[in-house]
Amino acid sequence: MAGKPGTTPTTYSPSPTTQKTRRPIFNENDVDWVRPDGRGFHQCRPAFFRTGAVNAASGSAYAEFGNTKVIVSVFGPRESKKAMMYSDIGRLNCSVSYTTFATPVRGQGSEHKDFSSMLHKSLEGAIILETFPKTTVDVFALVLESGGSDLPVVISCASLALADAGILMHDLVASVSLSCLGKNLVIDPILEEESYQDGALLITCMPSRYEVTQLTVTGEWSTPKINEGMQLCLDACSKLAKIMRSCLKEATSTSQE
Amino acid sequence: MVGLSLGEKHFIQGGIAQDIRSDGRKRLTYRPINVETGVIPQANGSARIRMGATDVISTVKAELGKPISLQPDKGKVSIYVDCSPTAAPMFEGRGGEELSTELSVALQRSLLGGKSGAGAGIDLSSLVVVEGKICWDLYIDCLVVCSDGNLLDALGAAIKAALSNTGIPRVQVAAGASGDEQPEVDISDEEFLQFDTSDIPVIVTLTKVGRHYIVDATTEEESQMSSAISISVNRKGHICGLNKRGGAGLDPSIVLDMISVAKHVSEQLMNKLDSEIAAAEAGEDES
Repeated sequence: MAGKPGTTPTTYSPSPTTQKTRRPIFNENDVDWVRPDGRGFHQCRPAFFRTGAVNAASGSAYAEFGNTKVIVSVFGPRESKKAMMYSDIGRLNCSVSYTTFATPVRGQGSEHKDFSSMLHKSLEGAIILETFPKTTVDVFALVLESGGSDLPVVISCASLALADAGILMHDLVASVSLSCLGKNLVIDPILEEESYQDGALLITCMPSRYEVTQLTVTGEWSTPKINEGMQLCLDACSKLAKIMRSCLKEATSTSQE
Repeated sequence: MVGLSLGEKHFIQGGIAQDIRSDGRKRLTYRPINVETGVIPQANGSARIRMGATDVISTVKAELGKPISLQPDKGKVSIYVDCSPTAAPMFEGRGGEELSTELSVALQRSLLGGKSGAGAGIDLSSLVVVEGKICWDLYIDCLVVCSDGNLLDALGAAIKAALSNTGIPRVQVAAGASGDEQPEVDISDEEFLQFDTSDIPVIVTLTKVGRHYIVDATTEEESQMSSAISISVNRKGHICGLNKRGGAGLDPSIVLDMISVAKHVSEQLMNKLDSEIAAAEAGEDES
């Protein structure tokens, strides 16, 4: 797969989550604990995007955030199935699946049954469905390796694949999640941090329009904390969208040459 | 799918804009809530909630099980929702399955707290009998009998009522078992422990129609929504979960405004629900 950081073979290190003992990754009273991968609390993993990962698809994209690697292909617009009722707006069909080897324990990916509907809900507000009546667009996402924050990566990658397929959208959709560990908010959590989290917040938004298309919160939160978390995520989303946009520009400029 | 004519759509939207809805309610008024408890004798606890034509049943079954090795001091709770096709033809096949998963996940997110168990409405450590060996597994199963909008709020209320109605048998652990042996237990069929439900949050769904939001939307009103946010709030006024439905984007400031409105509404709902549950429990004891 393209874009693997050449220096450290990160994929070959055994995942720390397979350790049976509960290793405290942070101390409640310790203010200066360090994240397992050495990032700051409000620092995202480096994002890597590449469009055109699958030749057979109308559009596709590959994304890599640390150990999280996903591939999304978009097919269509194609004629809706005959059994479907007439619809003067287009249909969006989303599916998220995991490879059997994506998770530390084999086949654990089937736990995420709700990801498909979450992906659908995040994208439907951004796509201009009126532009392809009576037809269906398929979005298939495959998580090659689960390294935490899987859903946000899938959503961002899917919107890039849709753009690559030339589906009209109001804006790119960027998504960022955040974990609450004790008193701290850590952005873009890895798998290990997610397994210890006290709460989680996920935002999908269209940064240029400054609109939230999807928002989920788990765990106990006070209102100021939600404010803070949302602001952090929205900032990160707008930065992420810039990276996605530059990836698209790069792709078109290389194809023109 | 709700078949509405253009005139009916305008009537609903216009009514909401003028703070008087088709059934005469204001924007932030709930339909009367009817609570019955102990409706399923086979279960450890059960409740039926009716809000207008929305009718849901929730049951709690407790079974002895083994805690997972990563969390030896916690019991297990699982929540499932079943949308039977007897309620509406669109629940048949995949449509019902999708809605069931969506509702189950939303309820788990709202009631069970984060991965570490912090902020959970149900205290998982109270379910442990012998640490690392025996715990109670609570199976919360909900059934949608009839759907007329606002399912999530009704299911949340039904689970709260069912848990208030739940009695968990007292367990005597035989002394002497040591080491790796599984201790023998004696389940009492006379003594039951009540469940503390004061921390369980209520779910308030705000449905945005036009520029206004309404609570407790009917199916017809839901068909006109641009987006909806379900917020679960506990007695302390903390947010325990949040879900968004509907594709349309929302400005972050509107989201925050909706959260503060939901917090305000939740206080009234919480008090009303508590008194309804208490009345239902008292009524059941008498009969």
